[in-house]
Formats: sequence, C-alpha cells, structure tokens
Amino acid sequence: MIAEFGHFALIVAFILSLILSLVPLIGVARVDHGLMRLAMPLTYGMAGGVFIAFAALLHGFVTSDFSIALVASHSHSTKPMIYKISGLWGNHEGSLLLWIVILVLFAGILAQRGRLMPLALKVRTLAVQGMVTAGFLAFSLFTSNPFSRLDPAPLDGAGLNPVLQDPGLALHPPTLYVGYVGLSIAFSFAVAGLLEGRIDKSWARHVRPWISAAWCALTCGIALGSWWAYYELGWGGWWFWDPVENASLMPWLAATALLHSVIVVESRGIFKSWTLLLAILAFSLSLVGTFIVRSGLLTSVHSFASDPARGVFILAILLAAIGVPLTLFALRGPSLSARDSDTSENTDQKNSDFALISRDTGLMVNNFLLTAATLVVLIGTFYPLGLEMATGARITVGPPYFDATFNPIMAVLVVAMAVGPLLVWRRGIGPARRMALSAGGVGALAALLAGATLASGLSIAALAGLGLVGWLGLAIIGDIAHRLKPWQTGALSGRLAAIKMPVWGMWLAHGGMVVFLIGAIGNGVFQQEKIIRANAGDVIELAGREILFKGVEARQGPNYVTQTAILEMRENGQLIAVMEPEKRFYTAERQSTTEAAIRPRIAGDDYAVLGDGDDAMGYSLRLYRKPLVSWIWTGAGIMALGGLIAVFGRARNYRQNIKVPS
Amino acid sequence: MTPQEPQKAQQAKKAQQAKKANPPKTGLQLSFLLPLIGFMALAIIAAIALFSTLSGTRDVSQLPSVMVGKPVPETNLPLLEGAKTLDLTAFRGKPLLINFFASWCAPCRAEAPALALLSRDVTIVAIAYKDKQADTISFLTQYGNPFAAVAMDYDGQAGLKWGVYGVPETYLVGPDGRIVLRHAGPIDRRVIDNEIMPAIKALQ
Repeated sequence: MIAEFGHFALIVAFILSLILSLVPLIGVARVDHGLMRLAMPLTYGMAGGVFIAFAALLHGFVTSDFSIALVASHSHSTKPMIYKISGLWGNHEGSLLLWIVILVLFAGILAQRGRLMPLALKVRTLAVQGMVTAGFLAFSLFTSNPFSRLDPAPLDGAGLNPVLQDPGLALHPPTLYVGYVGLSIAFSFAVAGLLEGRIDKSWARHVRPWISAAWCALTCGIALGSWWAYYELGWGGWWFWDPVENASLMPWLAATALLHSVIVVESRGIFKSWTLLLAILAFSLSLVGTFIVRSGLLTSVHSFASDPARGVFILAILLAAIGVPLTLFALRGPSLSARDSDTSENTDQKNSDFALISRDTGLMVNNFLLTAATLVVLIGTFYPLGLEMATGARITVGPPYFDATFNPIMAVLVVAMAVGPLLVWRRGIGPARRMALSAGGVGALAALLAGATLASGLSIAALAGLGLVGWLGLAIIGDIAHRLKPWQTGALSGRLAAIKMPVWGMWLAHGGMVVFLIGAIGNGVFQQEKIIRANAGDVIELAGREILFKGVEARQGPNYVTQTAILEMRENGQLIAVMEPEKRFYTAERQSTTEAAIRPRIAGDDYAVLGDGDDAMGYSLRLYRKPLVSWIWTGAGIMALGGLIAVFGRARNYRQNIKVPS
Repeated sequence: MTPQEPQKAQQAKKAQQAKKANPPKTGLQLSFLLPLIGFMALAIIAAIALFSTLSGTRDVSQLPSVMVGKPVPETNLPLLEGAKTLDLTAFRGKPLLINFFASWCAPCRAEAPALALLSRDVTIVAIAYKDKQADTISFLTQYGNPFAAVAMDYDGQAGLKWGVYGVPETYLVGPDGRIVLRHAGPIDRRVIDNEIMPAIKALQ
C-alpha cells in the first residue's frame, strides 16, 4: 500500500514538473506576475511528491518488503541496517530516484532562498529545472519504476552486490550526485540567461555559490570513490582511468573551469558566452557521467544494470538536455557577446580590453588548459566506442594514453596556478610577484635537488612532478606571507582581517592541490610492493619491516564468512601492528570480496591483501608500502574545504553588503 | 567653439565608420555552432552504437584479421614467473588460445570468468600487453589464473606482430600452428558458444 502511495506521489510530481516547465514561462512572456509566482508553489509541490516517493521506497527497504521487486533483488533480511538503506541507491532505479530527490531539493532551495534574484531570472531558472526534472521523472516512471511489485513475494531478497556493501560506497553516490545535480542549477541559470538573452554581473553573482557548492561536492564525491577503490578493490591503486571514473572526472574538470570563468563574468562582465557554454557543458558531462554506463555503451567494472533498451530513453534525454541548449546557444550566443561591447561603453570603458599579462589572460589560460584536459579525457573515454563503430574492434584505452596526454596538461596548469593569483585585472602582475615567484623558484629547485640526491634513478616525469610541488607550494606560501607580512611590527590582525574569505578559499583550494600532488607523486614514485606465496611461519621483508605470516583463520561476519590472514608487522624487532587482510564470502549473494588490511599513517600506508591459496600450497599475499598515499584524499578534502569557505564567506559578505543600506 | 569639439566629432565619426566596417555580429556564427556540431557528431556515434546493440548486430561485427590462416608470428616473450621465455611450439598438436590482456583494461576483468570456463576445453596462453609484472600478478590473483602460461609483452612488440588492435583480444591457433580465428573484445558466453567452440570442434 505504501509503495503504491509512493508511486502515486511520483506521478503527481511528474505532472507538477510538467506544469512548472510551462506555466511560469507563459507568465514571463505575458509579464503576468501571478503566473510567474506560481513557479514557487509548483516547485514545492513537485519536491514534496518526490520526497514522499523516496520515503515510501526507503520504508520498503528498511522494513525489507520483498513484495517490491527492487527490494527483493537488492536487499536481504540479514543485511545490516546501513546497507539496507544504502541498498536503495546501489541499483539503477533507486539511484535514479535519489538523483531526482537531489534535483528537486536544489530547486526547492533556489525557490526558497533566491529572494534577492530578479524574479524573471529566478522563474525561468526554476522552469528549466522543472523541465530537467520532468525528463528524469518520465525516465523513472516509464522505464525504471522503482515500485514494481512481485507476486508472489519471495521469502528473502537476493542481496546487494557485496562489493557495494561498504561505508565508503554508502556515501559516495549521494555526494557525487549532489555535485552533478548542483551543476544542474548552473545549467538552468545558463538556459534561463539564454532565454532572457541577457547575462550580466548580477547573473554571475547569483549563480556562483551554486557552482562552488557543486564543485565541493564533486571533489568530495570523486575522492570518496577513489578511496573506496583503494581499499575495497584491493588493487593498491587509487585511480584506474576506468570509464566510470573518467565520467566523474570530466564534469569536475569542466566545473573547475566554470568556477574560474564565472569570476571573470562577475568581476569584469566579459567571457559571458564562454561561461554559458561551460555551464551547459559541465551539466551535460554530469548527465553523460550518470547515465552513459547504464546504457551498455561502455564497459566498466563499476556499472550496475546496463540495459540497451533504456539506452534509447537516455539518448533521448541527452539529446533534449544538451542539444536544445546548444542550439539556443548557437542562436543567441553571438548577440550576447555583441552586447558585451555595448554595455562596456557606458560602464567600464572597453571592458573586453586587457593586456597580455593580466588576470583576464591568466583565467583564460586556466580555462584553456582545463578544457583541453576535459577533451583529452573525453576522447580517451569515447575513442574506443568510435573505433568500434568504424572497425568493429573493441579496445580499452588505459593509463598509457592518459599518462602521455592528461598529465602534461595538468603539469602546465600547476605551473600556471602559482602565477594566476598574483595577476591583477586588465593589466599587470601584483606586488606579491617578487616574493611568491622567487619562493616558488626556490621551492622547485629545492624539490628537484632533494629528489635527485635522496632517491637515485628517478624518472624525468617524477622529478618534474617534485619540482612542480615545490614550485606551487612555496609560491602560495610566498603569496600569503606577502599579504600578512608577519615580520612587520603591529596589527597583524588588521592585515588578517583585510584578506577576504574567498581569497582564503582560493589559497586552501590551491594548497589542497599541492597536498594531493605530494600524495600522488610520493605514492607513485616511492611505492614498494611484494607479491609472494607464503606458508604459515614465513617472514617477509618489505621497506625495512619484517612481516610474520602467522596463518589463516576462518571468521564469521554478520552476513558473510571470512578467511582472515594474520600478519604481524615488526620494525627493528618491535611489533608495530597486526594486519588482518581477509577474503569474505557472502552467503546470501554467493559472492566473495577481498578486504585489504590497511594501516594508514601520515607518512604512508601499509597495505596487505590476501589472495588465493590453502594450507598445503601456501597463500598468495600482496604487501605494499605506500608512502604519503593518504595525502591524495586529504588534499582533495582541503580543496573542497577551500571551496566551501568561498561559498559561505561570499554569502556572509553579500548579506553584510545588503544590510548596510537598510 | 573650443578646439576639442571638432576633434571629438571626428572621433565619433571614426568610431561610426569602424562600426560600419566591423558591425557587431548577431546572426549565426560558426564558433557558436561548433559545440552543437561536436555534440551531434558524438550523439550520432552513440545512436549507431546503441541501435546496433539493440538489433544484435554489434557483437558479431568483427573485423577479419589478416593474420587468419597464417602461421603464428615469432613470439619470444619472457614468462611472468621464472627466467624462461615463451615457447609456442611446445603447444603444437592441440588447439591453443592466445589471449592478449592487461591489468589496466576493464573488459579484461569482465571476460575473466569466461576464460576460466573455456580453459576446461582448450589450453590458453595469456600475453600481458603493455603491463607491469606486479600489476599482472595482482590481476591474476584477483581474477584467477586459468592459463597454461603467462608471458609479458612489456613494450607491445608481440602485439604489433600479431596485429592486436587493443586488449582484450583472443586468437585461436590450430594444431599445425596456424591462426584460425581472431576475436577482438571481451569473450562472453555468446562468443564461446557461437564462435570459439564451433571453431575448436571444426579443428578436431
């Protein structure tokens, strides 16, 4: 009964979203404020319907109602509660519903909070958001109904894929979806701007916090996914250039470009059509990221249910959601940039004028590099598909391609990251240049020297990476030092207060990149590993540690049984840890997973994996020493924190600015 | 009348002329059409892929290899374990499958169970293509090792000789050492039942 109620609520939400897509736009066209204001209650109604549907499905999962087909095929009565809940989005239908929940939640927040926005812009944005929601609700209702019933109901469920029964994966999809869907707001703003035929500084001011917030969530979501792959897949790696990973990286790269280009729109009123294009591109890539793997077009280890029949619907959604705005862009874009120069005559003189060395150029370089990186990943992901169409051969493009193409672009970007923040608008480079750039130069040299002397036989790429870390890290510190001047007497607090929150956010985000690079390069260059077949009593030496393999024992988990290896790790004869990597066998699902044992420390992780074997033949063990690897995710976290500070810092500044006149 | 005024008028005139020569473009412009064109090209590829999958023509559309019918190329590769090199002549007299794979390749993970199934009927030799030794061992530990031998093609030279498009790719070699069949892409139940097993039966 509750499931049917949820289904009904979803249908109501669909009808409301259709009305929301149309009626407020008629209101705008007729300048009928009554019709325009309908957008808000329609948004709330649509959101309410989706929330009720979600709650109904959640109820089904929590109470293990196996008469619902989705619960029966993805849950099990013996599963721990957290995985009963996360089982809801561990499958196609449920994760689609979660996607829609976040979509309407954001639309609701926009309807509620955006009071300072011009009404027409807000109403248009909500209407576009309504169209996107309508498309997804139709997809859910017509091809992926989460409420289908089974008759008779099975006695117990089939269980959730054991690899997905993991706290990291319980959090990873929702976080990533917040990022993807956050970009939908930027997209709706862009389409609303195209409909209106006007993009200005106020448009940029209103959309910017959404972009920053979406970017933060995307950063966290990708980092969580990478962390999950690190400890759950038991491969010892943290990034595999898998199509699904690429699909989340592309929107991140585009969102990073957007994050920077919208600053130019807000501060200088130029780069408008480019920013619009990026906003459309970023969300388009999110859509591709969410759905391409489910259409069966690309092969991936991550993909759940791929169904070509659904692919047709997905393609239709993508055509509408990307093709229509791009057509609008082709028609309206030229007049938008023409207006750039119109308005410039009455405001700043010749806005589109800037010197070769200026922040404008710096951000242009940033956008160029990030777009190039996005394209490289796009090509690497879709080239196999294109080749298959042309020749029928199915291939995979792996790390060799990305190492050769993506990494050099990012290296240039890191070089530019140190210089960009020092530049000033329109012309020149700021007063911090001398200190920051000489600090960066010293840092790069020191890192190169340290790398060349302390570790022998480093590759050119590894040395270049070390140099980059030193360059960017010390350049940021030099920039901060120049602003704070801690060596000057008096009123450090005054200089501290003079620095705005977004600047701190920028430093943190860029600093997070340094931390990330330290982790990625440290792990990539200095990792040590041993893969051996061992019998109980064997001692393995790795990275100055003695690891005693005491044997394998069987253990009982809540819904699985294990083979657990006991490894005693000693350093200089001192016992420092007992590592217990295991293989789990999930009885309900009849599947097994590998659980690595990880001892995470700031200096590096110890990582052990148990492979196949038995007492007679010995067990295969994989042991790793992974220096600095946790810095990778710490760095991503710091980046996201920087973005968050920028969002809230701006919101505070903005409120203060508004309060002054009243 | 100050002397600046005629100057100003002249400037305004110049500006007007400049505007005439360079009128603000508002119509269709190629640079604004490019994103749409790019997207449509991608969408068409995706649509063809999708509909050929739906109509069932996609999986069987395999490119015939120029290597089919020819003797196996010289393949002197180091074995994964030990100091020996791969000797394909040792496998003469029986049908043999050669499977090119890599640990960095996602479809290779997908085809691992199918290869395990096939290994009951035919000897399989695997060649790790452009891969590191440690990664290959991890891969085999995780996804199983049903292979009679695993050789390392570190720089892809053997792949070049065999005409490998990309991993995964599988060749069926007859008892006489001639290549009988080539399958590019992951192996699944359908490929086994419709392509590989019939070809093996035909050899026997």
